[in-house]
Amino acid sequence: MPLTSEEINEIKEILGREPTNEELAMFEAQWSEHCSYKSSKALLKLLPTKSRYVVLGPGRDAPAVEIFPGVLIVFKIESHNHPSAVDPYNGAATGVGGIVRDILTLGAKPIALLDLLYMGDPEDPHANFLIKGIVKGISDYGNRIGVPVVAGDAWFDKSFNKQPLVNVACVGIVAKDKAVLRGPAVNDEIYLVGNATGRDGLLGSSFASKPLAEDVDEDVAAVQVGDALTEKILIDALMELIDEGLVNYVKDLGGGGLATAVSEAAAEHDLGAVIHLDKVHLRHDLTPAEILTSESQERMLLAVPQHNVEAVNKILDKYDVPYSVIGHFTNDGRVKVYYKGVAVAEVPAKELAKPKPVVRPSTPPQEALKALTTPSSLPPMKDLREATLQLLTSPNISSKKWIYEQYDHEVGNRTVLKPGYGDAAVLRLLDGTARGVAVKGDGNPRYTSLDPFNGAANVVGECYRNLTAVGSTPIAVVDELNAGNPEKPNHYWYFEMMLRGIAWMSEELNVPVVGGKVSFYNEDSRGVQVRPTATVVGVGKVDDISKVKGMDFKGHGSYVAIIGYTLPELGGSEYLHRIYGLELGQIPKPKPSLEVKHAELIRKLIKDDIVSAVHDVGVGGLAVALIEMSVTSGLGFNVDISKIPSRAVGRVDELLYSETQARYLVEVEPSKIDLFKDVVNDYEVAYGVIGRVEDSREVLFKEGVKELIKIDLDLISDLYLNSLHRRLEGE
Amino acid sequence: MGKVAIVKFPGTNCDWDVLHAVKTVSKLQSEVVWYKEFQPNGWDAIIIPGGFSYGDWLRAGAIAAKTTAAEKIAESVEKGTPVLGICNGFQILTEGGVLPGALAPNACGRFVCRWVKLRVHKPKGPWLALVNDGAELHMPVAHAEGRYVISEEGFKELVSTSSIIKYVSGWNPNGSAYDVAGVTNPEGTALGLMPHPERAAEDELTPRGFRAGGRVIFESIAHSLKKGW
Repeated sequence: MPLTSEEINEIKEILGREPTNEELAMFEAQWSEHCSYKSSKALLKLLPTKSRYVVLGPGRDAPAVEIFPGVLIVFKIESHNHPSAVDPYNGAATGVGGIVRDILTLGAKPIALLDLLYMGDPEDPHANFLIKGIVKGISDYGNRIGVPVVAGDAWFDKSFNKQPLVNVACVGIVAKDKAVLRGPAVNDEIYLVGNATGRDGLLGSSFASKPLAEDVDEDVAAVQVGDALTEKILIDALMELIDEGLVNYVKDLGGGGLATAVSEAAAEHDLGAVIHLDKVHLRHDLTPAEILTSESQERMLLAVPQHNVEAVNKILDKYDVPYSVIGHFTNDGRVKVYYKGVAVAEVPAKELAKPKPVVRPSTPPQEALKALTTPSSLPPMKDLREATLQLLTSPNISSKKWIYEQYDHEVGNRTVLKPGYGDAAVLRLLDGTARGVAVKGDGNPRYTSLDPFNGAANVVGECYRNLTAVGSTPIAVVDELNAGNPEKPNHYWYFEMMLRGIAWMSEELNVPVVGGKVSFYNEDSRGVQVRPTATVVGVGKVDDISKVKGMDFKGHGSYVAIIGYTLPELGGSEYLHRIYGLELGQIPKPKPSLEVKHAELIRKLIKDDIVSAVHDVGVGGLAVALIEMSVTSGLGFNVDISKIPSRAVGRVDELLYSETQARYLVEVEPSKIDLFKDVVNDYEVAYGVIGRVEDSREVLFKEGVKELIKIDLDLISDLYLNSLHRRLEGE
Repeated sequence: MGKVAIVKFPGTNCDWDVLHAVKTVSKLQSEVVWYKEFQPNGWDAIIIPGGFSYGDWLRAGAIAAKTTAAEKIAESVEKGTPVLGICNGFQILTEGGVLPGALAPNACGRFVCRWVKLRVHKPKGPWLALVNDGAELHMPVAHAEGRYVISEEGFKELVSTSSIIKYVSGWNPNGSAYDVAGVTNPEGTALGLMPHPERAAEDELTPRGFRAGGRVIFESIAHSLKKGW
């Protein structure tokens, strides 16, 4: 988005004179929405960011939490929506590259990636092309840099056919005493390391700060191209530099390129900087303004104390990492830019780095009323067996195997609970202890587009449950808000409500939001916003990985129990959408206090070995959750849904498919069932023992003695495991 | 005691994982050696770990196979030093002509990461010393170019001279000819395989329905270096 005339006047005021071309380019890049958060800053203050675990909250390239004494987890999320719509392969790949570099800035070793993908109908030709490109882009890049993609979320809806949402997150680990938490010092040399600077991605952040052009070819030059090999040797070299304690500060060159990296580094530490653009190693012949704002990938900025220069050069040379020493930090608070000895820009770092926040008006749109439709008008029930089978083939429910098998999810030798086996992934720390970290990402575009406040709150709740179900204690989350055009009050309202929903829920659950990103201008060429979507990635601490629970039933004869009561909450459900083509109604209510209580109970049940499988009840409701436990184990079940604790439920389908929050399914061995009941009663939590795991190769839902649904396990397994593959590959 | 070199090329990404397995399972001394600094003397065994050397440019393993380090590894094989190539390491060994055959893009056209079941035929040499003939081993694969290709005569020769690790029927993830997942040289000193034994060396990492089948390879090399083979 070009600078407004108001902004140009402000720049003149800051400089006290007419800006040079180079200065204008720097301001344009830095003041773009993507880099400056000017439309969101005021509201982002609502997010709770502190807890006893938080070492570094929002502000730096990535936040850090001290998950165990002396052990930091650094994690962050980022979107690459605009580039992925234009060039899905490179757009998604560079998203991975960028988020990994953010993690590296604190000296952390990247140990896991997550991808949260909201994409079109797999059978639509254009969407199909985008889906395959996005997944291949993440696969090729993540696999090559040796960071496993272990978890995420995938959602398919025709509203994303042309404009997918691609959010990626990275998790890193570093010992607290090795982490690069300091800042640059006066006279530190400024190193630009990694890829040569070229013409790709010129003003990419400005591109991401406006709606997509009708003709996407116009935007192709603004998409960066990734080079995973360079990123890999950059990671290896940085790990060695950090291990030897040779650098004071590391920063990613992301949106806004060199201009942004230098001005933020200086502004955040009350410093200035002198840089010489002619010293930058280039791929193309570029003008000074282009060198300043190019967003070529795989580049990082290092602050190196002068006495370490030789040692740093030696390591960079060893790994054949290209680099140039382009200037140094000063104490005058000004960024001075030279090209071939001539001063081309001189700006005060702070004013450049921090534009004034813009207050945007926000009004709810007419269509938000859809969320208020009362469910009394529910259509008559259809055949439940058919409905269940149809739900299992929904790409939002069926296994995401087609996606995660394209990712090397095991490299690093840490992935204890792998994709497809549990509600979250668990990685071991490999520090000689049994400790680990659980990670998971969630989103629900239907919820957040129907009711952005409660929808976003539910996304936090879902992530919290997923982390809990595997046996971890949720520690912190990061969020990404994918919203429409902030200049349009009806779009901005969704952003504001999602943010408020996340802030409220995370406060209630006592899980701080330690970082996040905002992606605006997700609207099509007609100005229609893409479904507003809040995504959340959380980390949990695992004290003993041998206690980690998958969702798979462990043995026939065990009892199946549900924790938490069920409400008639079919609004916004996958069931209404898939079976009736309806996307309306009140979405399930967030239940923060029950979430906390149930999570404590689940952790107790896992810690004391009372349960042998745990699964969160989410999209698709109880019926789908039970079937998932069956498919992952190859064991059938026999349940009586009249034993499900419920309130105000009038129909059987409400019991089966409601997406009521704060519920878990657990498996309890027969010898432990009495103990289980005692513990749950102590916690005063609603629960029901609803049936048994069976050796039979079938799943059976009954209502009292009446048989409701009976399906062969092989059929269910095939539909669940292979439907997405069939939709995508047409086989 | 034995010392094991783990040779790292630009883009290698399983070096640390292999080091972990050699240290914890084989309990041998081991180091990751940057390819430029690799000298063959003083090592009792050499492992080329998986990854994407040179970003898989050209063909997987093709560029690394032309480096001085790869040539020195080939010479070590001639001298009888045990050499193991895992995944990209296997690709480098076939590209360099140390092992027969070639590894082409997977038949499905996609990268595949999943656990598979393997059967070892006529095990020989230091890496398979503790493996019984016909033993079933479980390990994960993770590759885009793992479809083993070999001529009919080449395969006949392989069958008569070397050990072959095959995917159990129904578990071939990439369309490999004759279900080949890994092969040795006629001496058995050099072993290359697409599956990752280092990821299957501990129960902790082994998912439901599988056993830690990579462990025996790391136990075998320790056993072999101790007693000679």
